[in-house]
Amino acid sequence: MTFTKTLPASRGLPLAAMGVVALLAALFLIPVVIGDEFVYHIFITICLFAGLSTAWNIVGGYAGQLSLGHAMFYGIGGYAGVILMNMGISPWLGMFVGAGVAALVAVVVSYPCFRLQGPFFALATIAFLEVFRVLALHFRGLTGGAMGLMIQLKLGWEWMVFRERLPALIIAFGLMLVCLAVAHLIRSHRLGFYLVATRERESAARAAGVQTVKVRLIAVAVSAALAAMLGTFHAMYLTFIEPAAMFSLSFSIQIAMFALIGGIGTIYGPLLGAALLVPVTEFARGMLGAEALGLHGFVYGVVLVLAVLFMPNGIMGALQRFTARRTGGEEQAVQAGPVVAAARTAESPEERPAIGREVMRVENLDKHFGGLHVTNNVSFSLREGEILGLIGPNGAGKTTVFNMISGFLQPDSGSVSVLDREGRFQNPVTPGDFAALGVGRTFQIVQPFAAMTVEENIMVGAFYRHHDVNDAREAARETAHRMGLAPWLNAEARGLTIGGLKRLEVARVMAMEPRILLLDEVMAGINQTDVRRAIDLMLSIRDTGVSIIAIEHVMQAVMSLSDRVIVLNSGEIVAEGKPHDVVRDPDVIEAYLGKDFAHAQY
Amino acid sequence: MKRFGLMTTSALALAMMATGALADVKFGALYPFSGQLALLGEESARGLEIAVDEINAAGGVQGEKVVLERGDAVDNNQAIGEARRLISVAAVKAIFGSYSSARSIAASQVAELAGVPYFELGAVADEVTSRDFKYLFRTNPTADHMGKLIVDMIVNKVAPGIGKDPKDLKIGIIHEDSSYGTSVAGHQERYGKEAGLNIVTTQGYPAATVDMSSIVLDLKQREVDVVLQTSYQNDSVLFLQQANEAGYKPAAIIGGGGGYSMIPTAEAVGKDVIEGVLDADFTQYAVNTEFTPGLEAFVEAYKAKYGSEPRSGHSLNNYVGAMAILKAIDKAGSFEPDAIVEAVAGIDIPQGETAAGYGVQFGAGNQNERASMMGMQWQDGKLVTVYPDAAAAADMRFAN
Amino acid sequence: METFLQVVANGLMLGGLFAIISIGLTLIFGIIKVVNFAHGEFLMAGMFLTYLITTQLGLHPYASVVVVAPALFVLGAVTQKLLIQPLLSARDEHVQIFATVGLSTAMINLALLIFGADIANTPSSGLRSSIQLGPVRILEGQLYILICAALLVVGLEFFLRRTQTGRAIRAVAQNRAAAQLMGINVNWIYVLSFGIGAACVGLASSLVAPLYPTSSTIGTYFVLTAFVVVVLGGLGSIPGAFVGAIIIGLLDSLAGFYIGSDLREAVVFGVFLVILILKPSGLFGTRLKLSHIS
Repeated sequence: MTFTKTLPASRGLPLAAMGVVALLAALFLIPVVIGDEFVYHIFITICLFAGLSTAWNIVGGYAGQLSLGHAMFYGIGGYAGVILMNMGISPWLGMFVGAGVAALVAVVVSYPCFRLQGPFFALATIAFLEVFRVLALHFRGLTGGAMGLMIQLKLGWEWMVFRERLPALIIAFGLMLVCLAVAHLIRSHRLGFYLVATRERESAARAAGVQTVKVRLIAVAVSAALAAMLGTFHAMYLTFIEPAAMFSLSFSIQIAMFALIGGIGTIYGPLLGAALLVPVTEFARGMLGAEALGLHGFVYGVVLVLAVLFMPNGIMGALQRFTARRTGGEEQAVQAGPVVAAARTAESPEERPAIGREVMRVENLDKHFGGLHVTNNVSFSLREGEILGLIGPNGAGKTTVFNMISGFLQPDSGSVSVLDREGRFQNPVTPGDFAALGVGRTFQIVQPFAAMTVEENIMVGAFYRHHDVNDAREAARETAHRMGLAPWLNAEARGLTIGGLKRLEVARVMAMEPRILLLDEVMAGINQTDVRRAIDLMLSIRDTGVSIIAIEHVMQAVMSLSDRVIVLNSGEIVAEGKPHDVVRDPDVIEAYLGKDFAHAQY
Repeated sequence: MKRFGLMTTSALALAMMATGALADVKFGALYPFSGQLALLGEESARGLEIAVDEINAAGGVQGEKVVLERGDAVDNNQAIGEARRLISVAAVKAIFGSYSSARSIAASQVAELAGVPYFELGAVADEVTSRDFKYLFRTNPTADHMGKLIVDMIVNKVAPGIGKDPKDLKIGIIHEDSSYGTSVAGHQERYGKEAGLNIVTTQGYPAATVDMSSIVLDLKQREVDVVLQTSYQNDSVLFLQQANEAGYKPAAIIGGGGGYSMIPTAEAVGKDVIEGVLDADFTQYAVNTEFTPGLEAFVEAYKAKYGSEPRSGHSLNNYVGAMAILKAIDKAGSFEPDAIVEAVAGIDIPQGETAAGYGVQFGAGNQNERASMMGMQWQDGKLVTVYPDAAAAADMRFAN
Repeated sequence: METFLQVVANGLMLGGLFAIISIGLTLIFGIIKVVNFAHGEFLMAGMFLTYLITTQLGLHPYASVVVVAPALFVLGAVTQKLLIQPLLSARDEHVQIFATVGLSTAMINLALLIFGADIANTPSSGLRSSIQLGPVRILEGQLYILICAALLVVGLEFFLRRTQTGRAIRAVAQNRAAAQLMGINVNWIYVLSFGIGAACVGLASSLVAPLYPTSSTIGTYFVLTAFVVVVLGGLGSIPGAFVGAIIIGLLDSLAGFYIGSDLREAVVFGVFLVILILKPSGLFGTRLKLSHIS
């Protein structure tokens, strides 16, 4: 059912779900029906790789961290299983020991690496894998060194070693199902949304209250544990392990490659990739391997290059395009439908709640970037239900102030205090702290989670209040409706116009139900009607008791919205007061239009 | 499409039945035919193929023509897969293999569980025969033999040749750090200690190294007299070159197999540099042929079939092992696994009666107890057998 | 002391070797922001080409550079044009990495297909003779490699800073979009840069081939070290790559002698990880900008 989520642009996907079920059934039944040992072996290999790739995909796909060292965890699982078995402990237990160790190693190894982007992360994982291999070679007492370790051939379920092949297939198939189930659970729950959000836009995810490091660590730990369990099984299946095979770079690449060919980041892509490529590889080897040295490897490399070139989103991507084309007409109709002006008009002024107590206090903020004094002794406060306009010429330091009052930048000195629900002032530090106190922000340059649908984007915010997917979805829909985004719920965010993206940005924050809303130029670059609507929207938000600080250049909006305006120039507050007073202030005019213009006024 | 498939299948089945009628017996040839180990995997398989040709020319096994089904053991998982395929799809009566120890360990386990005889003709790791398998036999000498032969050679030949007491020699062991180098080095240490040799250092290094100058310096500084290196080709070349360039000239360098036995190694380092270097390996070709009857015929058959000289001793050793096994199976009476095992277990070929010199008789773990390696030396650009004396084609030479 | 000096000298020579191989990689890395996993195979291709030219035509290996460098330039330019260019707009770097991994696999096996698994020996033409420099001994060929690496660094820096094309390349490297607005043909610059990077590898292969036996897998021996060097030196910094290479060479040599040759890899990769984690921009890299926040 939730399979549809990975293919947001298409409908009628019970078909796809049926396809998956049919594929899984085939994976199990074909070898059983044929009953041939070799066929068993191929299908066990498919299950193994499908499981490993699915586990990899949690890190490489959902979290977007390209690990080329996953054999590290597979190897740890293998060694744990064999070492313990030779001590007389069943691999069923060893499997979990290995999983535990692997998860621990994964966390320790990944934590410092998450600062690294793209290729650097990949290189770091390769380096860790190499270090593990060398260590496995070096500590012979434990690992048997280069000569490897053999298991005693004790047969039976207890020892996971069998004469017949069916039990091995059952275990491999079962483990693969576990991997798929875990991947599915993660993807369809909060963690999955958080991971994808973090992958797409880390800063926006942090603003949405996502503890980006924590969710990634959970992802690598889970992924490593699953890989290790498969490693234990495979070691029992091979009955012999050695560092060169267990900590192999090419094996790691292979794991990632199946996911890539199948479709990175999708739940069933890795399964498809393995189910298709393993048999093809086997047959290619059979057909070409004996013919000429290297021919098979050459063909393999060329196929990989071609697949990457012409199917960069993998088989799932191609399938998606295909189904999208089939249902394309319908989609068009929806997109072109009348835009519902869903934003409520401002309620009558009398109903507006009075401006209340202070909710945020900013004192003496200072910030230097190198020699540049970007924020100079900035102090102000925000009251409940108030809209505070923050204006100033380009480069005045508005966004820097925003970054400091949302935890994205630490001030050199000064403090930011936020009133918590119990009525005490707190001094939050990280974006997570701010989010916890009900501070939500948007970004000047919109930061949509491009690969997610509009609904999923808003859900990332909604998850802050709702643990359950359905509740979050419900809340997201409601928010989308309020923001006039309802018609595009199932469209990918990357397809929205700039106005739509700005609204999406606000919607995501609103779904977090903030008490203080920081809006960074949400009206820049949108058309007149949209500005009008946005003003109404902000007023209606204010009327629910939310306090707003808005950086804005659109003067029409500033004048009609703000209860109070602060003018920032060169990092200093040059004026503060009612909108109409402030715009007459000579300092302000000077700041915006230059000295000459200011003088000319007198 | 489906019908076509059906037709081909039935045609194939017919064809198979037809060939079956010609009374063929199928054996598996499981070697790494692609990937990194392909060169010597292929070379090993050629020995087996020549043995099969010879047996077929002489009337086959139990009156049936032997047909080899190749399996490509490119990695451990693949070795298992191919072993399965050979057993279940190709229905082979026995498997011959495998050059690589890791592949052999993985694949023979499949055969053991399936109750199909597995004959190892070339892998050297001790673990292959340390598992007390019933259906696994190994004909070739192992890492243990190599370590023992090298130590014997130092004690009996090298030390007297240099004019020193063996106990006064400083021995340095260096080895590539995969399973092969590590296990040989382990045996060198063990036998060396038993013989009272003074081993001053043992160092492993990755075979894929691009620099061995620090090892050379270390050995030079320790004033090592005899260097034992177990290595592949690239690292053999590197060590010999860098030792030479650093002006390090130990009294003897003894290589262990791999790179040291190959002509391209000699070409790479130059004939002057490799002159006098010793080497322990499978039986090679420049040997006292009275000790290795059938060697010349083998080389002739090889040249006729493949159009070149044998590239290493691997083919010869696989040939010798395969001949012994196939002749035994011929007398087994049936192709039932237990009949084959019984016949093979009864093999008794004395020393000096095979083309590799060593005899065949299986002992503990079904390892050929009579297998042995030979000591060789690069003399005037050729690899000549110098040890043991019975097999020697020339005397060992010393620089002084 | 003498031994120590010799270890250091060996490390320097090794550093020169790593430098000449890494310069092309850092150039490509820095400008196109693509990790070329097939870099080692470019070297392998160049070495085989050198081998063929020297053995078939009887030329001095150094003379073969007039063919090898342009050939590698074409190989690099074609790789960029046909393989990397179509993927530059791809959603994530995953695909680019896999494209070059695929290229690497294909090239290794193609070499295996053509040349077999045997090693190919390029005649050393006297470059293996050792020179006594005070207390230490080094190889003639190694010394030339070190000198050429230094000259290449100076030459490339001159090219990038003082010529019109070089400035255009640097502009593209610093800000692709801005360079495009300035009327620079970014795609052409990329093709050119990849070509130049590959040509540097061509030069390296002609220098390295007479000293090391060539085989289809020779590239994999060098490529990981080259990555370490490039990251250590700082993304895209050519002098950084040189200094990084010397450091890694010294480290490798010292660790190999004083710690043990089986752990030298662990030491090198350990240092790599420490640098990567503590200072991902490397020794000479520019600070990574947090441009996505503001």
